This record gives sequence, structure tokens and C-alpha cells, in this order.
Amino acid sequence: MPQGLDALKHIVVLMMENRSFDHMLGSLQAVDPRIDGITDALSNPDTTGAPVKPQPLAEFQGQLDPDPDHHFPAVDLQIFGGDTSLTRTPNMQGFVKSYFNQRQDVGHSQKIMYYFAQNQLPVLTTLALEFAVFNRWFASIPGPTICNRAFAHYGTSFGRVDMNPVFVNPPFKSIYDRLIDANPKHTSKLYYYDTTSSTMEVANLLQNQPELFGTWTQFLDDTSKGNLPDYSFIEPNYNDHDGDDGEELENDQHPDSNVQAGELFIASVYKAIKQNPSLWQSSALLVVYDEHGGIYDHVPPPACSPNARDGFVASANDTGTGATFAFDRLGVRVPAILISPWIPKATVIGGRIFEHASIPATVTKHFLGDYPLRTAREIAADTFLDVLSLDVMRQDCPDFDV
Amino acid sequence: MTLIHVPRPPKTAMNPDRPVSSLLRNQIEHLHGAEQRLPVRFRSKIYINAIKTQAEAARYCREVTEAIQHAHAEAAAARAGRVVDLAAAAPEPMVSNPKASKRSRAEKNPASPRVKKKAANSPGDDGKRR
Repeated sequence: MPQGLDALKHIVVLMMENRSFDHMLGSLQAVDPRIDGITDALSNPDTTGAPVKPQPLAEFQGQLDPDPDHHFPAVDLQIFGGDTSLTRTPNMQGFVKSYFNQRQDVGHSQKIMYYFAQNQLPVLTTLALEFAVFNRWFASIPGPTICNRAFAHYGTSFGRVDMNPVFVNPPFKSIYDRLIDANPKHTSKLYYYDTTSSTMEVANLLQNQPELFGTWTQFLDDTSKGNLPDYSFIEPNYNDHDGDDGEELENDQHPDSNVQAGELFIASVYKAIKQNPSLWQSSALLVVYDEHGGIYDHVPPPACSPNARDGFVASANDTGTGATFAFDRLGVRVPAILISPWIPKATVIGGRIFEHASIPATVTKHFLGDYPLRTAREIAADTFLDVLSLDVMRQDCPDFDV
Repeated sequence: MTLIHVPRPPKTAMNPDRPVSSLLRNQIEHLHGAEQRLPVRFRSKIYINAIKTQAEAARYCREVTEAIQHAHAEAAAARAGRVVDLAAAAPEPMVSNPKASKRSRAEKNPASPRVKKKAANSPGDDGKRR
């Protein structure tokens, strides 16, 4: 076993909100051609039929108003371009048409194709170039936040494709319960920003197990003192509010919050781990986004293999498209970066498919080994710790001035 | 080691009066569902349909999240209290002693945790349990 993997004691996941891979990391194709980002060949038709190319004109705030639709019917349009036939294949040609539906403004609808230049996102792009970036990490469902985040907690959304509460069905446990109930027991915690931001996982975890939760302040204390649990899941700040120490800016990067605030938060998580040498050498941090937020990406989401379908079916009423959904296709591609001093610089993971079920799959595999009481989807999901392949720890990892 | 500069967002980025996003709206709905399961004394007095801004949503999220935590903490404390009480209670005699006092438990041991707990939980003048 590589030294880095052997030394791994802590896995940390930070899940941000609603931005696509091309939107955030697409600029990096020009820096490293192995990164599957923006090229001049890409476009989407607007409602006049004119092709609209992606442009590096994304703004930090105030541009994507209204919030681009990312619910199941809209994402269906975005992926299939309006084709509803039974033999359709994803063409990623419906993003501008979808955004037009919200404001009936041709010019404004084209902004869904805008992406950030590399220098606008120094944190995310540096981490992507310095550590491991996933070319093929997809949202688990072509739909919104709650059901996608459920895959990160449970390896399934229990049949939900919308924003209604997800209720856990036995025998499937959350990754937190699996770790806590194991023998020997492992430790696990969800860190929300504060009680004012709270969590998106209300129906099961907050309501029934509030002891699983800590705050951002506690995360900083835990990392400083070396008390980080085996597995940590971090939620960003979901709203602007006055905190105990002053103004707290929404930093989840969900439109229309300020993207720079999210950059600052990502850098703060990274720094908190890195500045404790013992923690830095024994941790892996995954920065990932829950879904694409209705924003353009060019890579068609793959179908799920038959052995990876977890058996749930969403009704036509629940999908809103008039057709059922058998959880047989992933959602749109999202940014995902794995960070550790045991990862070779400039690692690009291509040719392998990942999604949010890969998170509990990886954590379970590392801490528990064989664990059959999971959905077929999660059991089939690829895991990612093999990326920690170095036998000598890097000493050249960057720092951020936060 | 490379030190990367991270630009700070402008002060104008903060806007608690921003309309509630669909994400926050859904979070409020979920918290409201959880709030309905709480004992009345833990519930907020906020009408969620009147929540229009981020600041109002934030206030509601905090109240309900903390109420859920308090309700669980109270239950945990009650469980711990019963455990202490069981440990502190003197073993009862197996054979009844006709000459034993007919005094109540409270009279025999006014300082016992059970007596104190019962006194604390008995309805007050306003009819509410403490």
C-alpha cells in the first residue's frame, strides 16, 4: 500500500453549491489540455437558433439572476435539448433555451454559457492544478440540491428527484451511522457553518441526531487541536446574516451569492487542515459541488450500468416531465478536486466515472472494508483514494493568504 | 512555498434583504416540518409564509435549529437524571417490616434526587410543568 494511503486517518468533504465544471474549471483546458474544459468548438443554440459560444465573462455576483432552473424538468431540457423521444441521447444543447424560459430575454439567456477565467478563481484553479481534478465527476441525479446531497450522505436519495425531504428507509444507513455503529467505533461529524445557516439535511439527521453536528468554529478548533473525526462533512454558509463575530457572508457559491466568498471559504478549509502538520499528512480533502445549478457543461452525463441501478423509480408526477425516472442516468458534471500531500502534482483523473455515491463508497471502503448493506448504486460506485499514490510526501504544496 | 493571494469580496456583497432563494425556501419548509414535531414550548412564533428576505430566513433557521438541539439536550438530561436517580436510591428491604415507619419517601429523605425531581416536575401555580 502506498505510504500516503497507509497514513490516511481523516477524510474531509466540503460540498459547495450549484456550479458546473465548465463554468468553474473549464478555463483550465488552455493550461492543461488533459483537463476536459472549454474549447472553441462548443456552443448552444439560443431561441433564435443562433449558436452561443462559452465565453470567460462570468461575474462574481449579480449576473445569474434569476437563479438558473436546476429542477428535474429544466435539467432534462438542458441535457437533451428538448428531445423527448424514447430513443434520445444527451446532447447538452438545451442550456440557453432553458434559461430563456425564466426571463424571456434572449441576450440574458446567453449568459448561462459564461465561465470564469482562471485568474478569477485563484483558489479553485490552483487546487485543481496542484492536486487531483476529476474530469468525470457528475451530480448523482439530473436535478436539484436535496436529492443530490442525499447521495453523499446515504448513497441514494430513496427515490426522490426533487427538493422534498428524503426519508431514510432501512436497512440503508447514513455514512455517519455506519461509522459510529461499527466495531471498533469510528468518529464522524457534519459541520454546518452555524445554527443560522444550519444544514440541508434536516429531515433525518438534524431532526433525529443533532449530536452529529458541529459548527465551523468547532471545525477550526478540532483541526487546530488534532481532534478531527475520522470522517467530516462540511456545509458552507447558506445565507447572509449577522453572526456572533460580525457579518457572515453567504459563501456556498449558489447563485446569486458572491463567488469570491466561496473561494475564501474553500481556502480557509484547506488552511485549517494544512496548518496542522500531523493532520495535513494524514488527511484527504475532497472539494465538490452538489449539482451544476442549471449552468452550462458540455459533457453528456453517462447512463448508469444495470448493476448500478438502486431499484428506485421516480414517478412521472415527481419528475414533472411526464415520464418516470429509473435512476439510470447521472446528473450534469460538477467540479471535484481531491487534495492531499500524497497526490502527485497535476493529477488529472479521466476515464473513470464518479458521482456523489462515490463519497460514502470511499469512506466505507477505507474505514469499514466490506459492508453489504448499501444500495447497488453505491456498491458499484468508483472510489478515489487510490489517487494518494506517492510514497514520499510533497513539500511544495501552496498556501493561501487567508 | 507559493503563497496565493485570495481577493476578498466587496462589502456590497452582503445583502440580508436579498429575496429568499429557492434553496433557502426549501430549507425553511424542511425546518418547519421538523418544528411541527417539537413540543409547543420549543416552537418559534414565526410564520414561515411571511419570510421574504435572507435575514428573516436566517432568523428562522437559527431558532428552529437551536430548538431541535435544546429539545434533544433536555431529553438527554432527563435520561441522565433517571440514571443518577436509580444509582442513588437505597436498596429497598426484601421483607416488609411491620415496625417500619409509615412515613412517605419525601419525609424519610427530603434530599433524595427523586424527591427533588418530583418536586421540580410537579405543576406550578400556572399549571405548567417545569
